[in-house]
Amino acid sequence: MITRFITEVSTTFNPFLPRAKTARLFLSFLPPNARQTMKIDTNLLPRTSRDPSFIKLKFKDGKQMKLDAEKLGIKGVVEEVDRHSRILSRQEELNGN
Amino acid sequence: MPPRIHPPSRAIASIPKKRRHVRSQRQYATAAAITPAAPHEQMTKSPPPIARYPPTQPPSYKPPEFRKSQLLRQYASLLRSTPLMLLFQHNNLKANEWVGIRRELSAALQKVDAARVSPVHPPEPLADAIKMQIIQTGIFAAALRVVEFYKPESRPSTLDPTDPSTPSSAAVPVFTQSGDQLTHTLSKAAHEAVADTRTAHALAPLLSGPLCLLTFPNVSPQHMKAALSILSPSPPRFPAPTRRANPGWHDAAIQSGLQKLLLLGARVEGKVFDLEGAKWVGSIDGGLDGLRAQLVAMLQGIGGGVTNTLESAGRSIYFTAEGRRTMLEDEQKEASRETAKQK
Repeated sequence: MITRFITEVSTTFNPFLPRAKTARLFLSFLPPNARQTMKIDTNLLPRTSRDPSFIKLKFKDGKQMKLDAEKLGIKGVVEEVDRHSRILSRQEELNGN
Repeated sequence: MPPRIHPPSRAIASIPKKRRHVRSQRQYATAAAITPAAPHEQMTKSPPPIARYPPTQPPSYKPPEFRKSQLLRQYASLLRSTPLMLLFQHNNLKANEWVGIRRELSAALQKVDAARVSPVHPPEPLADAIKMQIIQTGIFAAALRVVEFYKPESRPSTLDPTDPSTPSSAAVPVFTQSGDQLTHTLSKAAHEAVADTRTAHALAPLLSGPLCLLTFPNVSPQHMKAALSILSPSPPRFPAPTRRANPGWHDAAIQSGLQKLLLLGARVEGKVFDLEGAKWVGSIDGGLDGLRAQLVAMLQGIGGGVTNTLESAGRSIYFTAEGRRTMLEDEQKEASRETAKQK
């Protein structure tokens, strides 16, 4: 997963629901120095809550993304993130940085 | 040149030599050999049964030479022996962050131990036994199912067939090669009992992704409180150590490591707690002893009240009767005085 262009991550999930696995795996996919380069906010719901888990992302170009983690699955989330990150990396390359 | 073979020393020479009977006559094997009769004991008693395996290594359904089988055993024994454990998700912590976190944790727990020595109770040093370990989630889930859902009714017999004191008439269970009657963690019975309970346990959804455990050998809320205030501080109940009291905790490496640790839940004496529940367990004042003291105080208060209530009735009766008696006595005295005057 390309994480260079993410500036903000905020997730909410109830770990006792099996479908929260996506959000948790997404957090574990972030690199070790992620807390220095982006703002990460994790909100754990109590065990009884049935609220859906979601991942909110902000990119360097200001694009915001709200991903429904329950439907997409971890592969889908990674695909969505990479789709936008590749565009950003191509722009970066073309600008000659 | 001295002789190479030394003559026997005097001490050895003094030992009387066994006399060997040298047969002068030779016998041929073709002669009718007389088989000596079996000794009497062998005729009356059967020989002790032979164990087909060492008692510490019963036959196993899962291949015991694999690492995952041994991990399953290890996790099952951990689950059976650990009443209190906290589950954390660790997101890409580095080695030096782990080292720092473990160091700070053990320092804080040692402090709790030192504080607990002072009361009258015998000190139980728990700090060394509280460990943080990363687990293989799939195998841990399997071990959890075995521990929670597989309760064999018949304990395996403790008879050791190789022990000479075992009576030979004792019925030592004879295990078949497939190990049908075994009940240990790796046995076929355990495997089949938990085969269809994959999602049945409340902790099952938590067991995915990178996970680590903090295990306590005893339910000790004080230690848990210290651990929580180090690992996931939340200001009102679990304040982080101040910079002056514990400057090491504020190191950059430890802080960046702690940001990546995520407390998910707890398992306390077989029950599953979420984040709030874990914090509640940690916030029990004074630990189990504190709870017991509260209970005792409450019961004593009730006892005192009950005795007061019960006594009060008796007391009032006593006072009434006593008052009546003195009254009667006074009347009698007056009556006797009056009769004396009349005489």
